[in-house]
Amino acid sequence: MSAHSETEKFHYHEPGLQHQFEDMQQQEESVSIGMWMFLVQEIMFFGGLFTAYLVYRSRYPMAFAAGSNHLDAFWGGLNTLVLIVSSLTMALTVFYAQKNNRNMQVLMIVLTMFFGAVFLGVKAIEYTDKFDHGLVPVAGWNKRVPAHAGESHAAVKPCWEVDHNAPAEEHPNPRGEFQFTDCSLVKQAQDGNYLTAAERVGYFSNGQIDGNKFRDKVRIFYYLYFVMTGLHALHMVIGLGLMTWLLITAWRGRYNEDYYMPIEMSGLYWHFVDIVWIFLFPLLYLLGRHFMH
Amino acid sequence: MNIPRYLGVFAVLVVGTILTYYAATVDLDFIFPGANTLVALLIAFTKMTCVMLFFMHVYWSPRLIWLSAVASFFWLAIMFAYTMQDYLTRDIGVFMQ
Amino acid sequence: MTADYSGTQKLNYLNNGFTLKSWLLTKDHKRIAIMYLITISLFFLAGGIFAATIRLEMLTPASDLLQTGTYNKVFTAHGILMIFFFLIPSIPAVLGNFLLPIMIGAKDLALPRINLLSLYIYWIGGLFTVWALLQGGVDTGWTFYTPYSTTFSNTYVMAVGLGIFINGFSSILTGLNFIVTVHTMRAPGMTWFRLPLFVWAQYATSLVMILGTPVIAITVLLLAIERFAQVGIFDPAIGGDPILFQHMFWFYSHPAVYIMVLPGMGVISELISNFSRKKIFGYEFIAFSSIAIAVFGFLVWGHHMFVSGQSIYAGLVFSFLTMVVAVPSAIKMFNWTATLYKGSISFDTPMLYGLGFMGLFLIGGLTGLFLGAMGLVVHLTDTYFVVAHFHYVMVGGQVVAYLGGIHYWWPKMTGKMYSEFWGKISAMLVFIGFNLTFFPQFILGYLGMPRRYASYPEEMQVLNIFSSAGASVLGVGMIMPLIYLGHSLIYGKPAGDNPWLLPGLEWRTSSPPPTENFEVMPVVTWEAYEFGEDSGLDLEAARAREAAKV
Ligand SMILES: [Cu+2]
Repeated sequence: MSAHSETEKFHYHEPGLQHQFEDMQQQEESVSIGMWMFLVQEIMFFGGLFTAYLVYRSRYPMAFAAGSNHLDAFWGGLNTLVLIVSSLTMALTVFYAQKNNRNMQVLMIVLTMFFGAVFLGVKAIEYTDKFDHGLVPVAGWNKRVPAHAGESHAAVKPCWEVDHNAPAEEHPNPRGEFQFTDCSLVKQAQDGNYLTAAERVGYFSNGQIDGNKFRDKVRIFYYLYFVMTGLHALHMVIGLGLMTWLLITAWRGRYNEDYYMPIEMSGLYWHFVDIVWIFLFPLLYLLGRHFMH
Repeated sequence: MNIPRYLGVFAVLVVGTILTYYAATVDLDFIFPGANTLVALLIAFTKMTCVMLFFMHVYWSPRLIWLSAVASFFWLAIMFAYTMQDYLTRDIGVFMQ
Repeated sequence: MTADYSGTQKLNYLNNGFTLKSWLLTKDHKRIAIMYLITISLFFLAGGIFAATIRLEMLTPASDLLQTGTYNKVFTAHGILMIFFFLIPSIPAVLGNFLLPIMIGAKDLALPRINLLSLYIYWIGGLFTVWALLQGGVDTGWTFYTPYSTTFSNTYVMAVGLGIFINGFSSILTGLNFIVTVHTMRAPGMTWFRLPLFVWAQYATSLVMILGTPVIAITVLLLAIERFAQVGIFDPAIGGDPILFQHMFWFYSHPAVYIMVLPGMGVISELISNFSRKKIFGYEFIAFSSIAIAVFGFLVWGHHMFVSGQSIYAGLVFSFLTMVVAVPSAIKMFNWTATLYKGSISFDTPMLYGLGFMGLFLIGGLTGLFLGAMGLVVHLTDTYFVVAHFHYVMVGGQVVAYLGGIHYWWPKMTGKMYSEFWGKISAMLVFIGFNLTFFPQFILGYLGMPRRYASYPEEMQVLNIFSSAGASVLGVGMIMPLIYLGHSLIYGKPAGDNPWLLPGLEWRTSSPPPTENFEVMPVVTWEAYEFGEDSGLDLEAARAREAAKV
């Protein structure tokens, strides 16, 4: 590093200041703009998924309502609250860094990580539930329920009259395929005359409600559900990684009122992930609930 | 920002979450079809604005940060609007006689 | 790192460390640019070999050299390598990386580690894609249209898709870095309206990269998951909509056309003004037209879908906006032409490329209007007219500008001067070869020859032979710089700090520049493209001295 030390004689460099910057203010401004540009690209990244959601939901609202009603709004709502709490503790981490309070920083980071982990745990419970009920949109990725000989009442009754609260054994699924037999919402919309043009084509064969065609549309909902929540969960995992790093450095007392950019930037990321969920929760779990009469 | 203010924002977010849950269970279609969606999105936007302004400190940030936040939603709106202008006009068949 | 002050050679970014580690772990934007240059040239070569194979096959009407399936894979490989791994990173990642910090008087990009990361992501994505292509390739075309790509194609769609997914983040990070750098790293006195137009163009390109690229990433991801899960969100047989894929794909891929041409326009603004030795005409118009292109470019993607089943009303809107987006490009053309007027033009190699760009891009842009017109496109869609049009824009635009830029800044990057004689010859060959290759394709397309077929009717053979012959001339023209530029590295004359006698900041530091670009931080007191006394350099006197030497 002899080449560098020559110039360093003339420039006093604050600790943490990288060589390309003149002063801390320039560095902080750059890092903050960079982080926001990163968030802009994240917004567009999720935006593509929201576009797909928008298109299919506007075409097949009943299928989306049916799919949405099979998600558990309790778990979804709980997770929303959990994430909001973790956002609060994240914001407080920045606050305590500004106040030079190392112990509270560490505590807040630990709490943030705890709530982040709770969120992922709840997500795991939900995914398991979908696995048990044949709602994972990949053939073979659901729980296999062997068929009982001679029992096929689902084929006898029209799909809007099947009893869906029957125990799982009555919905045999020997190959672990995606299953969705309840098309009562279509019947309801047909009677109430609020099917969209795409639905009038998309759910019917020969003028009759076709349970299989309806199931295909519900499967699109679950595809989007898994991709959207899955990518969101992936962002949570990355966020937890960031938090671990913050925890170590904060433990060592790296952050104070003069230098807390890493906390502030990780906070931006964490809040962004929270915002995505703020939209995912109503769009996936809630819209369509009012169709249940 | 001080702790009471952070807690205030937090309270708004919690109330918003509870509100959006109950609003979704009420059938608002008697106002106009899709009113439930509008209400849910309005609440979500409010919550998002709270998080961005206060937790993400946009309120105290330079103009460029405001601009990038607004621009990203503007571009999202472009993507939504120009995609939907296709889907919403597909079934109109004036030229297809 | 030990400084080598022996002899007359100054310490610069090239002799500041010779180990492999000093390159692979560097944070110096100039070294990263050089590594990009080498990798990109390799991809260009690979894509070029596929192009040559295509033109060889098209020599005869029958599909005799390649089987039709292989032919599909060859043109797909050509498209993917050229677009995602050559054209998109070419000018931003090489010339932009090298010059943007120097042009604004900074020591480096704002986020050098992110810059290195973007190079590594590019390498990983590239290796992934090359591996997939070697495994057996893809036959979907670079557009990956569904449901063929999700349901029917038996090739490595997922692997190549993931390669493109990874590579996308490299261009996002480059764009992010440029935007931050332009905002925070400008030297004292370097106001926004003193920025070289190349920087404005890079800035606009970066906007498109940040706003558009994530959408292609998510689209390709959805495609890969769909191919695996067979849910049918893009498959009409089970309720999906293939047009949605096209919307999401072109939301990025039309703006990507501007990623591929805006940086070229930036280079041309530099070349035209500097080699006319005249302040550029309508600086603000050119600067803002770059931004306008970046914004309006996002509103026109539907012109790729006029005959795909998109609503006719949406088509009307997209067609209209396509006409609108031609305006800022036209503004640039007018301003360049006005700059040339009464300029003292010197026809050095870079300027030959610059003038070539103006001619070729004019044709490419105007034929784009044909294709944006909803009625005409019914006849022209998916014909060689389209192929010719976008090659006029992509090759005639970006590649020519890229070559022009490489020649223009070569003395700065390497400190060596190449052979002007061979440079001029190769520029002429590129221009002639290019027109001979692609002009016949306009006619072929108009006559109805569809693209992406290995065979064609016999009466079309003459024009195809012209095209293939032109391709070989073009190939020679493209290979030649490799030789004489490589030759100049060792045998070239030392270029001096300011071989073209120009006022830009990059010409005020040594060639090659030192690691931190300037000995002392520059303070800018002059406007961009200032050739008079205000520039602080006595360029006229220097020119007279040069003339006296000869
Ligand atoms: Cu286009």
